[in-house]
Amino acid sequence: METFIQGNLSLLAVVAALLPLLTFLGILIPSKSSRGASLAIFNIAVSFLISAILFFKIWNAEPIQHEINWFTIGQTTFKAGILLNNLSVLMLLLVSAIALLVHIYSIKYMEGDAFLYRYWAYLGLFCFSMLSLVITDNLLLLYMFWELVGFSSYLLIGFWFTKESAALAAKKAFIMNRLGDLGFLTGIMIVFTQFKTLNISELFNEGGLVLSAVIQNGLWLNGTNQMPSIWLTIAGLAFFFGAIAKSAQFPLHTWLPDAMEGPTSVSSLIHAATMVAAGVFLLGRIYPLFDATVLMVIASIGAFTALMAATIALTQNDIKRILAFSTISQLGFMMIAMGVGAYSASIFHLATHAFFKCLLFLAAGSVIHEMAHVKAKSGLDFDHQDIQNMGGLRKIMPVTFITMALASLALSGIPFTSGFLSKDAILIQAFEWSDGQSIWAKLIPYAAFLTSGLTSFYIARLLFKVFFGSFRLQNLSKNIQLHEAPNAMKYVLMVLAVFCLFIPFSQNPFDYNSAWIFKEITGLEPAHEVQSNYHLFIPVTVSILTFVLIYLAYTWYGKRLAGPDFSKNPLFRFAQKQWYFNELYTRLFVNGTTGLSAISFKFDRLVVDGLVNLLGKIGVLFAATSGWFDSYVIDGLVNGIASFAKTIGNFARHLQTGRLQHYLLTMVLVVLTFFVIKLFFPGI
Amino acid sequence: MSLLSLLIFLPLVAGLLILILPSAWQQRYKYISLAAVGIQIIIAAFIYLNFDGNTFSGIDVQAKYQLVERVPWINLNLGRLGYLQIDYFLGIDGLSMPFLVLTSIVMLIAVISSWEIKTNLKGYFALLMLLNTAVLGVFCALDFFLFYIFYELMLLPLYFLIGMWGGVRREYAAIKFFLYTLFGSVFMLLVIIGLYFSVTDPVTGNHTFNMLYMMNPANYVQGSLFSTIANQQLFGMSARLVGFIVLFIAFAIKVPIIPLHTWLPDAHVEAPTPVSIILAGILLKIGGYGTLRICVSIFPDAAVQSAWWLGLIGVVSIIYGALNALAQKDLKRLIAYSSVSHMGFVLLGIASVTAEGISGAMLQMISHGFLSTMLFFLVGVIYNRVHSREIHDFRGLALLMPKYTAFVMIAFFASLGLPGFSAFIAEAFSLIGAFTSESVNGLLPRWMAIAGSVGILLGAAYLLWTLQRMFFGETRLMGGEDWRLKLTDINGREAFALASLTVFALLLGIFPSLAFGKMNASVLELIRLVNLK
Repeated sequence: METFIQGNLSLLAVVAALLPLLTFLGILIPSKSSRGASLAIFNIAVSFLISAILFFKIWNAEPIQHEINWFTIGQTTFKAGILLNNLSVLMLLLVSAIALLVHIYSIKYMEGDAFLYRYWAYLGLFCFSMLSLVITDNLLLLYMFWELVGFSSYLLIGFWFTKESAALAAKKAFIMNRLGDLGFLTGIMIVFTQFKTLNISELFNEGGLVLSAVIQNGLWLNGTNQMPSIWLTIAGLAFFFGAIAKSAQFPLHTWLPDAMEGPTSVSSLIHAATMVAAGVFLLGRIYPLFDATVLMVIASIGAFTALMAATIALTQNDIKRILAFSTISQLGFMMIAMGVGAYSASIFHLATHAFFKCLLFLAAGSVIHEMAHVKAKSGLDFDHQDIQNMGGLRKIMPVTFITMALASLALSGIPFTSGFLSKDAILIQAFEWSDGQSIWAKLIPYAAFLTSGLTSFYIARLLFKVFFGSFRLQNLSKNIQLHEAPNAMKYVLMVLAVFCLFIPFSQNPFDYNSAWIFKEITGLEPAHEVQSNYHLFIPVTVSILTFVLIYLAYTWYGKRLAGPDFSKNPLFRFAQKQWYFNELYTRLFVNGTTGLSAISFKFDRLVVDGLVNLLGKIGVLFAATSGWFDSYVIDGLVNGIASFAKTIGNFARHLQTGRLQHYLLTMVLVVLTFFVIKLFFPGI
Repeated sequence: MSLLSLLIFLPLVAGLLILILPSAWQQRYKYISLAAVGIQIIIAAFIYLNFDGNTFSGIDVQAKYQLVERVPWINLNLGRLGYLQIDYFLGIDGLSMPFLVLTSIVMLIAVISSWEIKTNLKGYFALLMLLNTAVLGVFCALDFFLFYIFYELMLLPLYFLIGMWGGVRREYAAIKFFLYTLFGSVFMLLVIIGLYFSVTDPVTGNHTFNMLYMMNPANYVQGSLFSTIANQQLFGMSARLVGFIVLFIAFAIKVPIIPLHTWLPDAHVEAPTPVSIILAGILLKIGGYGTLRICVSIFPDAAVQSAWWLGLIGVVSIIYGALNALAQKDLKRLIAYSSVSHMGFVLLGIASVTAEGISGAMLQMISHGFLSTMLFFLVGVIYNRVHSREIHDFRGLALLMPKYTAFVMIAFFASLGLPGFSAFIAEAFSLIGAFTSESVNGLLPRWMAIAGSVGILLGAAYLLWTLQRMFFGETRLMGGEDWRLKLTDINGREAFALASLTVFALLLGIFPSLAFGKMNASVLELIRLVNLK
């Protein structure tokens, strides 16, 4: 067994990825919709087990690469293969673990849905795409799975397809991701043109093609291939543009809040923990491609997004939307880390965030589940996701409360949580990086610092509004009975809560350098080993700030003392309206494109087709003219000659009367005429 | 009798049989057609399996064609004008073989969807079979005269099929289609004659219509009109460039390109479903095939000269077609415009003259053959049930027709280039080819590929918008309860057709080597020929 596993690691990885696909096909193709849950959970559980085996075999061991010929075009053979290194097995384990937990959670959460079998099938497709995405070894396949996760996300966002808003949100998500995909594709085209291969290890390994290519005299040289050096920057920006869409960064972030139309379990798995992190993963895979300009752009976009999304999260009342903006903001953190060269910190934060954000969503789901229950039972009409309708739930749902509180602490970055370690790593390295850089660059770590404060405030606000005070709907209807989440959901929350603590990630709760993920996931550049003052200064100030803000939130929202009313404040309204990006995009791009298409169709019908029809009409006119000419002129001439001949004939006919007297007279006249002529013109 | 002739004339025999049989048997005509197409598929499959892509790279060498049939056909002593020599000359290489398979499959689907035709069955099926013969002939012919005969032969049945079995404006559409195509092919005939007098058979010394000889500069008569060395002028341009442009316009009308496309929306919309399927599934590909086989192969120098313009036309077609699709209210018209957009990729790929680009273009043609067939079939399904195709007339069909919706989603996502389906690889490589062109041969600027990729985005926009409007939301129908009863989910016959097309699109998307493996050597050979100039 042992040797079998050792010898077939790459095969096992393929099996782990393909099993969820089997769920998808096995449920949808027979179109018998009875089974579903058992098949889906069995498959993902086996995937998880295999992933765990692979993780322990490959973590810190030699990376494994295995590929087969896929197809040949011209002289280039494209290969399909898998690459198992630290990054991919970490992601493999992370994705399959969270997917398994969400599957179990869904048994109860999705119970009784009319199209439940589709839910399991779509989840299977997603897991297949995501697992394949993290293990594939070339950019073409990566791009394919990249689009497939987008597709499965489309299916799951629009799962309740009879809801207009869900159908719209699904469409929006897919199209915005498509926009990003154009960037990804452009990047692939540039890399392929320059290096004639799309294999990730050949391109991006140490001593790989990308690092051996040089810039000389404004040219980007790789052997005999060359391009103007601007294309190196464009390539980096193009790939980053793809990542922006998938990881919901400014300016393509607006699809993620809308994506909350999907079931909460889906939001948790796809739109918080795994898929949206694929953008960060992609940057990690192709990291050596980025030049200084691109890295600066990444860090700036990340910082702007983190801050912007945090301000919006402060003002929202829909529990899922708050968490969605929080996700956008945290992904911005990972982007900052990538941009400032804190590669390992970025991946580390990806891992910790996956757990605590997944937990936040699932706990919120458990609250929403109960609220929807209340809504159905009481017959009241209220928004069951609005935190203003909640309150005092900590006594009724203690497990949900405690686990969600732990996750919130991790999100805020309180010491002893996993979030503290990874956020610390990013902040400290960002400050270290900005030393000696331009003013612009100095803004980035401060933006991150500010965001960190806002984060603790908005999550505290959410927590206090939902779980403290008294349940506001109790006044409306006396017979409302609330319960703790069902067991299947409760245990999942508890498992996830463990991963919000520092223990699974590091032995030392205060030092991110001792975290195993941070140590072993290394970029090509050595991690910063400078021991600066920041290592003490940052954690202390951040923690103090966090505690102060949480206390503030507690007095305003926990104790229900009258807080200030911001609703008239224009800045508040600006944030509440999500900085008006949706309105702007609708006016500018959606209306612009449909307007342009209407104009182009008019042009097509009136000008292009009009010209064709005009030509046709001219042809018909020409034919009519020539027809007229033919019948009146040419045929007229012919007929004229004929009728002339007829006239002569008629005339001659009258001479022939048949009477002898007439003939005799004519004869006499002729003879007479003859002699008259002879008499007067003797010469003839 | 050899395999290709059998393949080509089998449908003709079936058509004649249908003509002879009494009209009392008219319910059986479709089974005769089905049987003929079934045998055709078996032959095509046999040819596919036995085709050796590496040996038979074709293009300009007769020995490298498989299943060659070359019989003297018309031999006339014209006295002072020489000896008229026309061969019955067939053969296949990697460029033509895939289209035989495609034609057979699309024809099968067309016959299956002909179940809906109710009037004048004798004429209908006889014409359909005649069309089948003509199309197969075009793909196999290697003698330009023979090619032209088959090429023109396609027009006749199509004109009647659209004009007699079509929709409300069928006569307008039929005559528009006919005149458009005729306009291209009349001038093509002039070039054919010009080529005939420029090229001689190296063996007999007679003038010849043999396309393969036309590809070799050594066979041109010194000082003749199209001689590569003489550099004759016509209308102030190089005669070879004029010849290329005339031939290209003839094929480009078929593809179609902007601005010669307006016959297509009318013809597709007015034609009955099976004819729309054949038009989109095969006829458009003749444009692309002709460009490769004839324009680029016979006039490689002119092709290189005009590559930039070809690429530009491709990019404009991609974006313009997609924008127009976005503006449509009629589902069938939307799909017709999407064809314009998708065929733009073909032109862009061909213009790049790179292995990636041409392979991508070839695969795009095959893939579009399957997918447009599927799309038109799907439109036919609802049109047959309620006689409406207006997008606004339907809403929430997913609840009413779940299986139908599943196939619509498959077809839409496959068309918008979802990985796993053939269109993805095809479009990606057309674009990659266009992009590498500047580094490889300097023909196309890089921005063209990036501009072309916008078509992928717009494709997602118009297809998903349609999906959301027609299929999602609560069910609401224009025709109310009456429509609700009529809109039954697809039956077994329809499911079979749709499922088999899905399988082909998936197979090619996951194992593109099924196509690339057969055509790669030919593509390389073609590029070598162009680079020789």
